[in-house]
Amino acid sequence: MGVALRDILNDYKTAVGWDSLGGIAALDAHNALYQFLSIIRQPDGTPLMDREGRVTSHLSGILFRTVNFIEKGIKPVYVFDGPPPAFKQETIEHRRSQRKEAGERWQEALERGDTEEAYKQARASSRIDDYVIESSRTLLGLMGIPCIDAPSEGEAQAAHMVITGDARYMVSQDYDTLLFGAPLLVRNLTVSGRRKIHGRTVTLNPEKIILEEVTRGLKISREDLVKVAILVGTDFNSGVKGIGAKTALKIIQKQEFESIAMEKMPDTDYQSIMDFFLNPPVHSDYSLKWDTPDQDGILEMLCETHDFSEERVKKALEGLGVTTGQKTLDAWF
Amino acid sequence: MMLKATIDADILKESIDAISALVTECRLHTDETGISTRAVDTANVAMISFHLKKEAFESFSSTKSELGLDIAKIKNIFGMMGKENLLALELPDEGHKLKVSFEGYQYSITLLDPNTIRKDPNIPNINLPGKVVLSGSELNNAIKAAAVVSDKIALGIDPATQTFYMVAEGDTDHIRREFGKTEVNFINGAEARSLFSLDYLKDMGKVMSRAEEVELSLGIDHPANFSFYLAGGNGHVEYLLAPRIEAD
Repeated sequence: MGVALRDILNDYKTAVGWDSLGGIAALDAHNALYQFLSIIRQPDGTPLMDREGRVTSHLSGILFRTVNFIEKGIKPVYVFDGPPPAFKQETIEHRRSQRKEAGERWQEALERGDTEEAYKQARASSRIDDYVIESSRTLLGLMGIPCIDAPSEGEAQAAHMVITGDARYMVSQDYDTLLFGAPLLVRNLTVSGRRKIHGRTVTLNPEKIILEEVTRGLKISREDLVKVAILVGTDFNSGVKGIGAKTALKIIQKQEFESIAMEKMPDTDYQSIMDFFLNPPVHSDYSLKWDTPDQDGILEMLCETHDFSEERVKKALEGLGVTTGQKTLDAWF
Repeated sequence: MMLKATIDADILKESIDAISALVTECRLHTDETGISTRAVDTANVAMISFHLKKEAFESFSSTKSELGLDIAKIKNIFGMMGKENLLALELPDEGHKLKVSFEGYQYSITLLDPNTIRKDPNIPNINLPGKVVLSGSELNNAIKAAAVVSDKIALGIDPATQTFYMVAEGDTDHIRREFGKTEVNFINGAEARSLFSLDYLKDMGKVMSRAEEVELSLGIDHPANFSFYLAGGNGHVEYLLAPRIEAD
Protein backbone atom coordinates (compact mmCIF):
# COMPACT_ATOMS: atom_id res chain seq x y z
CA MET A 1 0.00 0.00 0.00
CA GLY A 2 3.03 2.14 0.22
CA VAL A 3 4.31 4.91 2.32
CA ALA A 4 3.35 8.58 2.07
CA LEU A 5 6.68 10.04 1.00
CA ARG A 6 5.33 11.92 -1.99
CA ASP A 7 5.77 15.35 -0.41
CA ILE A 8 9.53 15.00 -0.24
CA LEU A 9 9.98 13.02 -3.46
CA ASN A 10 8.11 15.27 -5.86
CA ASP A 11 11.23 17.24 -6.73
CA TYR A 12 13.06 14.09 -7.73
CA LYS A 13 10.52 12.78 -10.21
CA THR A 14 11.53 13.27 -13.78
CA ALA A 15 9.43 12.54 -16.82
CA VAL A 16 10.70 9.63 -18.83
CA GLY A 17 9.69 8.68 -22.37
CA TRP A 18 8.56 5.17 -23.20
CA ASP A 19 11.32 5.05 -25.82
CA SER A 20 14.05 5.10 -23.23
CA LEU A 21 12.57 2.39 -21.01
CA GLY A 22 13.74 -0.63 -22.97
CA GLY A 23 15.34 -3.48 -21.07
CA ILE A 24 14.41 -5.73 -18.21
CA ALA A 25 11.83 -4.31 -15.81
CA ALA A 26 11.08 -5.94 -12.47
CA LEU A 27 7.40 -5.53 -11.63
CA ASP A 28 6.00 -5.63 -8.16
CA ALA A 29 3.29 -8.15 -9.08
CA HIS A 30 0.94 -7.36 -6.21
CA ASN A 31 1.09 -3.67 -6.92
CA ALA A 32 0.31 -4.28 -10.61
CA LEU A 33 -2.51 -6.73 -9.86
CA TYR A 34 -4.02 -4.38 -7.31
CA GLN A 35 -3.95 -1.60 -9.89
CA PHE A 36 -5.68 -3.79 -12.47
CA LEU A 37 -8.33 -4.93 -10.02
CA SER A 38 -9.06 -1.46 -8.75
CA ILE A 39 -9.01 0.40 -12.05
CA ILE A 40 -10.39 -2.01 -14.62
CA ARG A 41 -14.04 -1.73 -13.64
CA GLN A 42 -17.34 -0.69 -15.10
CA PRO A 43 -18.78 2.70 -14.11
CA ASP A 44 -20.79 1.25 -11.21
CA GLY A 45 -17.72 -0.50 -9.85
CA THR A 46 -18.43 -4.00 -11.16
CA PRO A 47 -15.17 -5.61 -12.23
CA LEU A 48 -14.82 -7.39 -15.55
CA MET A 49 -16.21 -10.90 -15.17
CA ASP A 50 -16.69 -13.98 -17.28
CA ARG A 51 -20.06 -15.64 -17.61
CA GLU A 52 -19.47 -17.69 -14.48
CA GLY A 53 -18.90 -14.57 -12.43
CA ARG A 54 -15.12 -14.93 -12.09
CA VAL A 55 -13.24 -11.62 -12.04
CA THR A 56 -11.11 -11.08 -15.14
CA SER A 57 -9.97 -7.45 -14.69
CA HIS A 58 -6.46 -8.58 -13.77
CA LEU A 59 -6.16 -10.88 -16.79
CA SER A 60 -7.14 -8.05 -19.09
CA GLY A 61 -4.60 -5.80 -17.38
CA ILE A 62 -1.80 -8.35 -17.63
CA LEU A 63 -2.46 -9.06 -21.30
CA PHE A 64 -2.62 -5.47 -22.51
CA ARG A 65 0.09 -4.07 -20.28
CA THR A 66 2.49 -6.86 -21.20
CA VAL A 67 1.82 -6.38 -24.90
CA ASN A 68 2.40 -2.67 -24.50
CA PHE A 69 5.68 -3.36 -22.69
CA ILE A 70 6.94 -5.82 -25.30
CA GLU A 71 6.07 -3.40 -28.09
CA LYS A 72 8.16 -0.76 -26.34
CA GLY A 73 11.11 -3.13 -25.93
CA ILE A 74 10.50 -3.65 -22.22
CA LYS A 75 10.97 -7.18 -20.91
CA PRO A 76 8.86 -7.56 -17.79
CA VAL A 77 9.48 -9.99 -14.97
CA TYR A 78 6.73 -10.28 -12.35
CA VAL A 79 7.87 -10.65 -8.75
CA PHE A 80 5.29 -12.16 -6.41
CA ASP A 81 5.12 -11.76 -2.65
CA GLY A 82 6.08 -14.62 -0.38
CA PRO A 83 4.86 -14.91 3.21
CA PRO A 84 4.68 -11.48 4.88
CA PRO A 85 6.96 -10.71 7.82
CA ALA A 86 5.32 -11.21 11.22
CA PHE A 87 5.12 -7.51 11.99
CA LYS A 88 2.95 -6.90 8.90
CA GLN A 89 0.08 -8.82 10.48
CA GLU A 90 -1.56 -5.76 11.95
CA THR A 91 -1.56 -3.94 8.60
CA ILE A 92 -2.95 -7.00 6.87
CA GLU A 93 -5.82 -7.33 9.32
CA HIS A 94 -6.53 -3.61 9.11
CA ARG A 95 -6.71 -3.78 5.30
CA ARG A 96 -8.91 -6.85 5.42
CA SER A 97 -11.48 -5.05 7.55
CA GLN A 98 -11.23 -1.93 5.35
CA ARG A 99 -11.94 -4.03 2.27
CA LYS A 100 -14.85 -5.74 3.96
CA GLU A 101 -16.38 -2.41 4.95
CA ALA A 102 -15.82 -1.02 1.46
CA GLY A 103 -17.57 -4.08 0.04
CA GLU A 104 -20.59 -3.44 2.23
CA ARG A 105 -20.69 0.28 1.36
CA TRP A 106 -20.42 -0.60 -2.33
CA GLN A 107 -23.57 -2.72 -2.09
CA GLU A 108 -25.37 0.04 -0.17
CA ALA A 109 -24.37 2.63 -2.76
CA LEU A 110 -25.56 0.35 -5.56
CA GLU A 111 -28.93 -0.03 -3.83
CA ARG A 112 -29.20 3.75 -3.50
CA GLY A 113 -28.20 4.16 -7.15
CA ASP A 114 -25.16 6.27 -6.22
CA THR A 115 -22.84 5.18 -9.03
CA GLU A 116 -19.94 7.42 -8.15
CA GLU A 117 -19.81 6.23 -4.56
CA ALA A 118 -20.30 2.63 -5.72
CA TYR A 119 -17.26 2.91 -8.01
CA LYS A 120 -15.16 4.38 -5.26
CA GLN A 121 -16.12 1.75 -2.71
CA ALA A 122 -15.78 -1.05 -5.24
CA ARG A 123 -12.20 -0.01 -5.93
CA ALA A 124 -11.41 0.01 -2.25
CA SER A 125 -12.82 -3.50 -1.92
CA SER A 126 -10.35 -4.93 -4.47
CA ARG A 127 -8.84 -8.10 -3.16
CA ILE A 128 -5.96 -10.23 -4.37
CA ASP A 129 -6.94 -13.80 -3.52
CA ASP A 130 -5.52 -17.18 -4.51
CA TYR A 131 -7.64 -17.29 -7.65
CA VAL A 132 -6.27 -13.93 -8.83
CA ILE A 133 -2.69 -14.99 -8.18
CA GLU A 134 -2.98 -18.42 -9.72
CA SER A 135 -4.81 -17.22 -12.84
CA SER A 136 -2.27 -14.40 -13.24
CA ARG A 137 0.62 -16.83 -13.05
CA THR A 138 -1.02 -19.13 -15.56
CA LEU A 139 -1.53 -16.32 -18.06
CA LEU A 140 1.99 -14.95 -17.59
CA GLY A 141 3.35 -18.46 -18.07
CA LEU A 142 1.44 -18.84 -21.34
CA MET A 143 2.74 -15.46 -22.47
CA GLY A 144 6.31 -16.58 -21.79
CA ILE A 145 6.86 -13.97 -19.09
CA PRO A 146 8.99 -15.04 -16.11
CA CYS A 147 7.47 -15.01 -12.60
CA ILE A 148 9.66 -14.97 -9.54
CA ASP A 149 8.62 -15.82 -6.00
CA ALA A 150 10.05 -13.57 -3.35
CA PRO A 151 10.98 -15.19 -0.05
CA SER A 152 9.08 -12.34 1.61
CA GLU A 153 8.08 -8.95 0.16
CA GLY A 154 8.02 -8.83 -3.66
CA GLU A 155 9.18 -5.23 -3.66
CA ALA A 156 12.32 -6.17 -1.79
CA GLN A 157 13.12 -8.97 -4.21
CA ALA A 158 12.50 -6.74 -7.22
CA ALA A 159 14.69 -4.02 -5.73
CA HIS A 160 17.42 -6.61 -5.20
CA MET A 161 17.25 -7.56 -8.87
CA VAL A 162 17.79 -3.95 -9.87
CA ILE A 163 20.67 -3.60 -7.41
CA THR A 164 22.42 -6.65 -8.86
CA GLY A 165 21.83 -5.36 -12.38
CA ASP A 166 19.66 -8.28 -13.49
CA ALA A 167 16.86 -5.81 -14.06
CA ARG A 168 17.27 -2.24 -15.23
CA TYR A 169 14.57 -0.69 -13.11
CA MET A 170 11.60 -1.43 -10.96
CA VAL A 171 7.99 -0.78 -11.81
CA SER A 172 5.66 0.05 -8.95
CA GLN A 173 3.47 2.90 -7.81
CA ASP A 174 4.76 2.53 -4.27
CA TYR A 175 7.69 4.45 -2.86
CA ASP A 176 8.56 1.55 -0.53
CA THR A 177 10.74 0.21 -3.30
CA LEU A 178 13.18 3.06 -2.67
CA LEU A 179 13.38 2.05 0.98
CA PHE A 180 14.33 -1.44 -0.17
CA GLY A 181 17.15 0.19 -2.12
CA ALA A 182 15.91 0.07 -5.73
CA PRO A 183 18.32 2.40 -7.56
CA LEU A 184 15.73 3.27 -10.19
CA LEU A 185 11.96 3.27 -9.81
CA VAL A 186 9.59 3.93 -12.71
CA ARG A 187 5.96 4.83 -12.05
CA ASN A 188 2.83 5.32 -14.12
CA LEU A 189 3.52 2.72 -16.78
CA THR A 190 -0.13 2.27 -17.64
CA VAL A 191 -1.41 1.50 -21.11
CA SER A 192 -3.90 4.34 -21.36
CA GLY A 193 -1.88 6.94 -19.49
CA ARG A 194 -5.06 7.84 -17.63
CA ARG A 195 -5.98 7.26 -14.09
CA LYS A 196 -8.84 8.22 -11.84
CA ILE A 197 -7.74 10.21 -8.83
CA HIS A 198 -10.39 11.42 -6.44
CA GLY A 199 -13.07 10.83 -9.05
CA ARG A 200 -11.34 12.86 -11.75
CA THR A 201 -9.56 11.35 -14.70
CA VAL A 202 -6.04 12.69 -15.07
CA THR A 203 -3.35 11.93 -17.60
CA LEU A 204 -0.29 10.34 -16.13
CA ASN A 205 3.04 10.14 -17.86
CA PRO A 206 5.80 7.73 -16.94
CA GLU A 207 8.19 9.18 -14.40
CA LYS A 208 11.37 7.92 -12.85
CA ILE A 209 12.94 8.37 -9.45
CA ILE A 210 16.63 7.68 -8.99
CA LEU A 211 17.42 6.77 -5.39
CA GLU A 212 20.86 8.34 -5.50
CA GLU A 213 19.40 11.68 -6.59
CA VAL A 214 16.92 11.55 -3.72
CA THR A 215 19.52 10.82 -1.06
CA ARG A 216 21.99 13.31 -2.53
CA GLY A 217 19.34 15.99 -2.88
CA LEU A 218 17.85 15.54 0.58
CA LYS A 219 21.33 15.09 2.03
CA ILE A 220 20.33 11.93 3.85
CA SER A 221 21.28 8.27 3.58
CA ARG A 222 18.96 5.47 2.54
CA GLU A 223 18.87 4.49 6.20
CA ASP A 224 17.63 7.99 7.01
CA LEU A 225 14.98 7.70 4.32
CA VAL A 226 13.77 4.53 6.02
CA LYS A 227 13.61 6.44 9.30
CA VAL A 228 11.51 9.14 7.64
CA ALA A 229 9.17 6.43 6.40
CA ILE A 230 8.92 4.83 9.83
CA LEU A 231 7.82 8.15 11.34
CA VAL A 232 5.27 8.66 8.56
CA GLY A 233 4.07 5.07 8.68
CA THR A 234 4.95 2.04 6.56
CA ASP A 235 3.35 -1.29 5.75
CA PHE A 236 4.79 -2.46 9.05
CA ASN A 237 3.94 0.34 11.49
CA SER A 238 1.36 3.08 11.70
CA GLY A 239 3.77 5.95 12.25
CA VAL A 240 3.28 9.02 14.37
CA LYS A 241 0.01 10.86 14.06
CA GLY A 242 0.51 14.40 12.78
CA ILE A 243 3.95 13.75 11.31
CA GLY A 244 4.07 13.89 7.54
CA ALA A 245 7.03 13.39 5.25
CA LYS A 246 8.29 16.98 5.46
CA THR A 247 8.20 17.10 9.24
CA ALA A 248 9.79 13.67 9.46
CA LEU A 249 12.57 14.79 7.15
CA LYS A 250 13.32 17.76 9.40
CA ILE A 251 13.41 15.46 12.42
CA ILE A 252 15.92 13.19 10.69
CA GLN A 253 18.04 16.09 9.50
CA LYS A 254 18.14 17.39 13.08
CA GLN A 255 19.06 13.85 14.19
CA GLU A 256 16.12 13.62 16.53
CA PHE A 257 14.78 10.32 15.25
CA GLU A 258 15.64 8.20 18.29
CA SER A 259 14.16 10.60 20.81
CA ILE A 260 10.94 11.20 18.86
CA ALA A 261 10.58 7.48 18.15
CA MET A 262 10.99 6.62 21.84
CA GLU A 263 8.55 9.27 22.89
CA LYS A 264 5.82 8.96 20.24
CA MET A 265 5.92 5.29 19.29
CA PRO A 266 7.32 3.44 22.28
CA ASP A 267 5.67 0.17 21.26
CA THR A 268 7.14 0.09 17.80
CA ASP A 269 10.17 -2.13 17.33
CA TYR A 270 11.63 0.25 14.75
CA GLN A 271 14.99 -1.49 14.71
CA SER A 272 13.42 -4.67 13.27
CA ILE A 273 11.54 -2.64 10.69
CA MET A 274 14.72 -0.82 9.69
CA ASP A 275 16.60 -4.10 9.42
CA PHE A 276 13.84 -5.46 7.24
CA PHE A 277 14.00 -2.52 4.81
CA LEU A 278 17.79 -2.43 4.73
CA ASN A 279 18.46 -6.18 4.62
CA PRO A 280 15.27 -7.87 3.49
CA PRO A 281 15.18 -11.59 2.73
CA VAL A 282 15.79 -12.04 -1.01
CA HIS A 283 16.69 -14.86 -3.38
CA SER A 284 19.64 -14.73 -5.71
CA ASP A 285 19.09 -18.08 -7.42
CA TYR A 286 16.39 -17.26 -9.93
CA SER A 287 16.47 -17.61 -13.67
CA LEU A 288 15.10 -15.07 -16.10
CA LYS A 289 13.89 -16.53 -19.34
CA TRP A 290 11.37 -15.17 -21.77
CA ASP A 291 9.70 -17.85 -23.85
CA THR A 292 7.77 -17.63 -27.07
CA PRO A 293 4.12 -17.00 -26.18
CA ASP A 294 1.77 -19.97 -26.50
CA GLN A 295 -0.81 -18.42 -28.79
CA ASP A 296 -3.27 -21.33 -28.67
CA GLY A 297 -2.96 -21.60 -24.90
CA ILE A 298 -3.63 -17.89 -24.41
CA LEU A 299 -6.66 -17.98 -26.72
CA GLU A 300 -8.03 -21.03 -24.92
CA MET A 301 -7.61 -19.52 -21.47
CA LEU A 302 -8.87 -16.03 -22.24
CA CYS A 303 -11.49 -16.65 -24.92
CA GLU A 304 -12.85 -20.11 -24.12
CA THR A 305 -12.55 -20.14 -20.33
CA HIS A 306 -12.93 -16.44 -19.53
CA ASP A 307 -15.07 -15.11 -22.41
CA PHE A 308 -12.65 -12.49 -23.80
CA SER A 309 -13.29 -11.26 -27.32
CA GLU A 310 -11.23 -13.42 -29.66
CA GLU A 311 -10.66 -10.49 -31.98
CA ARG A 312 -9.17 -8.31 -29.25
CA VAL A 313 -6.94 -11.06 -27.90
CA LYS A 314 -5.67 -11.96 -31.38
CA LYS A 315 -4.88 -8.34 -32.06
CA ALA A 316 -3.00 -8.11 -28.77
CA LEU A 317 -1.03 -11.25 -29.62
CA GLU A 318 0.20 -9.62 -32.81
CA GLY A 319 1.84 -7.05 -30.57
CA LEU A 320 3.62 -9.83 -28.71
CA GLY A 321 5.48 -10.62 -31.88
CA VAL A 322 3.93 -14.07 -32.12
CA THR A 323 3.32 -13.44 -35.78
CA THR A 324 6.44 -11.50 -36.73
CA GLY A 325 8.81 -14.37 -36.06
CA GLN A 326 11.67 -12.19 -34.87
CA LYS A 327 13.91 -14.14 -32.51
CA THR A 328 15.89 -12.49 -29.76
CA LEU A 329 19.52 -13.06 -28.88
CA ASP A 330 18.46 -14.63 -25.56
CA ALA A 331 18.65 -18.09 -27.03
CA TRP A 332 22.39 -17.66 -27.60
CA PHE A 333 23.49 -16.02 -24.37
CA MET B 1 41.14 13.71 -14.51
CA MET B 2 39.06 10.68 -15.39
CA LEU B 3 39.28 11.28 -19.12
CA LYS B 4 41.13 13.83 -21.23
CA ALA B 5 41.36 13.37 -24.96
CA THR B 6 41.35 15.04 -28.33
CA ILE B 7 39.97 13.30 -31.36
CA ASP B 8 39.18 13.95 -34.99
CA ALA B 9 35.50 14.94 -35.13
CA ASP B 10 34.83 12.58 -38.02
CA ILE B 11 36.12 9.55 -36.09
CA LEU B 12 33.97 10.39 -33.09
CA LYS B 13 30.95 10.91 -35.28
CA GLU B 14 31.51 7.59 -37.04
CA SER B 15 31.82 5.86 -33.66
CA ILE B 16 28.62 7.42 -32.34
CA ASP B 17 26.78 6.48 -35.53
CA ALA B 18 27.92 2.88 -35.11
CA ILE B 19 26.52 2.75 -31.57
CA SER B 20 23.37 4.76 -32.22
CA ALA B 21 22.35 2.36 -34.99
CA LEU B 22 21.27 0.02 -32.19
CA VAL B 23 20.89 1.79 -28.86
CA THR B 24 19.91 5.19 -27.47
CA GLU B 25 22.10 4.91 -24.40
CA CYS B 26 25.07 2.84 -23.32
CA ARG B 27 27.68 2.23 -20.66
CA LEU B 28 31.01 3.39 -22.00
CA HIS B 29 34.12 1.84 -20.47
CA THR B 30 37.35 3.76 -20.52
CA ASP B 31 40.82 2.73 -19.49
CA GLU B 32 44.38 3.54 -20.49
CA THR B 33 44.04 1.53 -23.74
CA GLY B 34 40.95 3.30 -25.11
CA ILE B 35 37.17 3.22 -24.90
CA SER B 36 34.68 0.42 -25.42
CA THR B 37 31.04 -0.52 -25.03
CA ARG B 38 28.88 -3.58 -25.45
CA ALA B 39 25.14 -3.11 -25.62
CA VAL B 40 21.99 -4.88 -26.71
CA ASP B 41 19.08 -3.05 -28.30
CA THR B 42 15.88 -2.72 -26.32
CA ALA B 43 14.20 -5.67 -28.01
CA ASN B 44 17.22 -7.96 -27.45
CA VAL B 45 17.52 -8.57 -31.15
CA ALA B 46 20.89 -7.02 -31.91
CA MET B 47 24.12 -6.41 -30.04
CA ILE B 48 27.03 -4.09 -30.67
CA SER B 49 30.56 -4.60 -29.38
CA PHE B 50 32.62 -1.51 -29.98
CA HIS B 51 36.22 -0.69 -29.21
CA LEU B 52 38.20 2.43 -30.06
CA LYS B 53 41.91 2.18 -29.33
CA LYS B 54 43.76 5.14 -27.90
CA GLU B 55 45.68 5.30 -31.19
CA ALA B 56 42.46 6.54 -32.80
CA PHE B 57 42.80 9.69 -30.70
CA GLU B 58 45.19 12.59 -31.24
CA SER B 59 45.85 12.48 -27.53
CA PHE B 60 44.35 10.25 -24.87
CA SER B 61 44.66 9.70 -21.17
CA SER B 62 42.12 7.97 -19.02
CA THR B 63 41.71 6.04 -15.83
CA LYS B 64 39.53 2.94 -15.66
CA SER B 65 35.95 4.11 -15.39
CA GLU B 66 32.42 3.69 -16.61
CA LEU B 67 30.27 6.47 -18.05
CA GLY B 68 26.59 6.51 -18.89
CA LEU B 69 26.05 8.06 -22.31
CA ASP B 70 22.79 9.29 -23.76
CA ILE B 71 23.80 8.37 -27.30
CA ALA B 72 20.70 9.84 -28.93
CA LYS B 73 21.35 13.21 -27.31
CA ILE B 74 25.04 13.19 -28.17
CA LYS B 75 24.28 12.28 -31.75
CA ASN B 76 22.05 15.34 -32.00
CA ILE B 77 24.63 17.60 -30.42
CA PHE B 78 27.40 16.43 -32.72
CA GLY B 79 25.15 16.54 -35.75
CA MET B 80 26.34 20.08 -36.42
CA MET B 81 30.04 19.31 -36.20
CA GLY B 82 32.14 19.94 -39.24
CA LYS B 83 34.52 17.23 -40.40
CA GLU B 84 38.25 17.21 -39.85
CA ASN B 85 38.16 19.43 -36.86
CA LEU B 86 39.67 18.42 -33.61
CA LEU B 87 37.44 18.00 -30.66
CA ALA B 88 38.52 17.97 -27.02
CA LEU B 89 36.88 15.81 -24.36
CA GLU B 90 37.35 16.26 -20.66
CA LEU B 91 35.82 14.57 -17.66
CA PRO B 92 37.02 15.44 -14.15
CA ASP B 93 37.27 12.74 -11.47
CA GLU B 94 33.86 11.97 -9.94
CA GLY B 95 32.40 14.21 -12.62
CA HIS B 96 28.88 13.89 -13.97
CA LYS B 97 29.37 16.33 -16.82
CA LEU B 98 31.48 15.71 -19.90
CA LYS B 99 33.12 18.84 -21.26
CA VAL B 100 33.39 18.92 -25.02
CA SER B 101 34.94 21.74 -27.01
CA PHE B 102 35.05 22.11 -30.75
CA GLU B 103 34.99 24.99 -33.23
CA GLY B 104 34.83 27.47 -30.41
CA TYR B 105 31.80 25.84 -28.77
CA GLN B 106 32.02 24.66 -25.18
CA TYR B 107 29.57 21.94 -24.30
CA SER B 108 28.86 20.51 -20.92
CA ILE B 109 26.96 17.27 -21.35
CA THR B 110 25.29 15.66 -18.34
CA LEU B 111 26.09 11.98 -18.16
CA LEU B 112 23.62 9.28 -17.16
CA ASP B 113 24.05 7.25 -14.02
CA PRO B 114 25.54 4.01 -15.43
CA ASN B 115 23.49 2.06 -12.89
CA THR B 116 20.33 3.11 -14.67
CA ILE B 117 21.54 1.65 -17.95
CA ARG B 118 21.30 -2.04 -18.76
CA LYS B 119 24.43 -3.79 -17.72
CA ASP B 120 26.71 -5.16 -20.39
CA PRO B 121 25.45 -8.36 -21.94
CA ASN B 122 27.64 -11.43 -21.78
CA ILE B 123 29.45 -12.50 -24.88
CA PRO B 124 27.17 -15.06 -26.48
CA ASN B 125 28.48 -18.46 -27.30
CA ILE B 126 27.77 -19.01 -30.98
CA ASN B 127 29.38 -21.15 -33.62
CA LEU B 128 28.92 -19.60 -37.05
CA PRO B 129 30.70 -21.77 -39.63
CA GLY B 130 30.08 -19.74 -42.80
CA LYS B 131 32.46 -16.80 -43.16
CA VAL B 132 32.80 -14.35 -46.03
CA VAL B 133 34.47 -10.99 -46.45
CA LEU B 134 32.89 -8.39 -48.71
CA SER B 135 32.86 -4.66 -49.27
CA GLY B 136 30.77 -2.64 -46.87
CA SER B 137 29.25 -0.50 -49.60
CA GLU B 138 28.27 -3.59 -51.68
CA LEU B 139 26.63 -5.04 -48.59
CA ASN B 140 24.76 -1.82 -47.88
CA ASN B 141 23.60 -1.53 -51.50
CA ALA B 142 22.16 -5.04 -51.41
CA ILE B 143 20.39 -4.24 -48.13
CA LYS B 144 18.92 -1.07 -49.60
CA ALA B 145 17.77 -2.93 -52.73
CA ALA B 146 16.09 -5.62 -50.63
CA ALA B 147 14.33 -3.02 -48.46
CA VAL B 148 12.48 -1.76 -51.52
CA VAL B 149 10.55 -5.01 -51.91
CA SER B 150 10.45 -6.55 -48.42
CA ASP B 151 11.03 -6.10 -44.71
CA LYS B 152 13.23 -9.17 -44.41
CA ILE B 153 16.19 -10.68 -46.18
CA ALA B 154 17.78 -14.12 -46.26
CA LEU B 155 21.56 -14.29 -46.18
CA GLY B 156 23.17 -17.57 -47.14
CA ILE B 157 26.13 -19.48 -48.50
CA ASP B 158 25.83 -22.22 -51.09
CA PRO B 159 28.91 -24.44 -50.65
CA ALA B 160 28.32 -26.32 -53.94
CA THR B 161 28.61 -23.22 -56.11
CA GLN B 162 30.73 -21.25 -53.63
CA THR B 163 28.36 -18.31 -53.73
CA PHE B 164 27.17 -15.95 -51.06
CA TYR B 165 23.58 -14.86 -51.70
CA MET B 166 20.97 -12.41 -50.42
CA VAL B 167 17.31 -13.03 -51.16
CA ALA B 168 14.40 -10.72 -50.36
CA GLU B 169 10.89 -11.97 -50.89
CA GLY B 170 8.14 -9.37 -51.00
CA ASP B 171 4.41 -9.92 -51.36
CA THR B 172 4.70 -9.50 -55.10
CA ASP B 173 8.37 -8.99 -55.87
CA HIS B 174 11.60 -10.84 -55.39
CA ILE B 175 15.23 -9.82 -55.36
CA ARG B 176 18.26 -12.09 -55.45
CA ARG B 177 21.87 -10.97 -55.46
CA GLU B 178 24.64 -13.50 -55.74
CA PHE B 179 28.26 -12.84 -54.99
CA GLY B 180 30.79 -15.19 -56.55
CA LYS B 181 34.41 -15.80 -55.70
CA THR B 182 35.54 -12.72 -57.59
CA GLU B 183 33.43 -10.42 -55.42
CA VAL B 184 33.63 -12.14 -52.08
CA ASN B 185 36.52 -13.64 -50.22
CA PHE B 186 35.39 -16.97 -48.73
CA ILE B 187 37.10 -17.74 -45.48
CA ASN B 188 34.86 -20.72 -44.92
CA GLY B 189 32.19 -21.58 -47.45
CA ALA B 190 30.15 -23.83 -45.16
CA GLU B 191 26.43 -24.04 -45.82
CA ALA B 192 24.47 -21.27 -44.15
CA ARG B 193 21.10 -19.59 -44.41
CA SER B 194 19.21 -17.35 -42.02
CA LEU B 195 16.51 -14.71 -42.35
CA PHE B 196 16.94 -11.20 -40.94
CA SER B 197 14.89 -8.09 -40.34
CA LEU B 198 15.71 -5.27 -42.71
CA ASP B 199 14.60 -2.75 -40.10
CA TYR B 200 17.79 -3.55 -38.25
CA LEU B 201 20.01 -4.17 -41.26
CA LYS B 202 19.18 -0.82 -42.85
CA ASP B 203 20.59 1.10 -39.88
CA MET B 204 23.57 -1.20 -39.56
CA GLY B 205 24.16 -1.10 -43.33
CA LYS B 206 24.57 2.68 -43.32
CA VAL B 207 27.39 2.35 -40.81
CA MET B 208 28.97 -0.62 -42.59
CA SER B 209 28.88 1.17 -45.95
CA ARG B 210 31.91 3.17 -44.82
CA ALA B 211 33.98 0.06 -44.12
CA GLU B 212 36.21 -1.24 -46.87
CA GLU B 213 35.70 -4.81 -45.72
CA VAL B 214 33.07 -6.48 -43.58
CA GLU B 215 33.57 -9.99 -42.28
CA LEU B 216 30.20 -11.70 -42.15
CA SER B 217 29.69 -14.93 -40.21
CA LEU B 218 26.56 -17.00 -40.73
CA GLY B 219 24.95 -20.25 -39.66
CA ILE B 220 21.67 -22.01 -40.33
CA ASP B 221 18.85 -20.17 -38.55
CA HIS B 222 21.48 -18.52 -36.41
CA PRO B 223 22.44 -14.91 -35.72
CA ALA B 224 24.69 -13.09 -38.17
CA ASN B 225 27.89 -11.46 -37.02
CA PHE B 226 29.24 -8.44 -38.89
CA SER B 227 32.77 -7.46 -37.98
CA PHE B 228 34.56 -4.41 -39.40
CA TYR B 229 37.08 -1.70 -38.65
CA LEU B 230 36.79 2.05 -38.62
CA ALA B 231 39.11 4.95 -37.82
CA GLY B 232 41.87 3.53 -40.04
CA GLY B 233 41.90 0.21 -38.22
CA ASN B 234 41.97 1.70 -34.73
CA GLY B 235 38.27 1.18 -34.10
CA HIS B 236 36.49 -2.17 -34.24
CA VAL B 237 32.77 -2.87 -34.42
CA GLU B 238 30.91 -6.14 -34.21
CA TYR B 239 27.19 -6.34 -34.79
CA LEU B 240 25.33 -9.48 -33.83
CA LEU B 241 21.80 -9.78 -35.19
CA ALA B 242 19.27 -12.45 -34.18
CA PRO B 243 17.44 -14.19 -37.04
CA ARG B 244 13.77 -14.29 -37.78
CA ILE B 245 11.95 -17.56 -38.03
CA GLU B 246 11.52 -18.64 -41.64
CA ALA B 247 7.85 -19.14 -42.43
CA ASP B 248 7.04 -22.40 -44.21
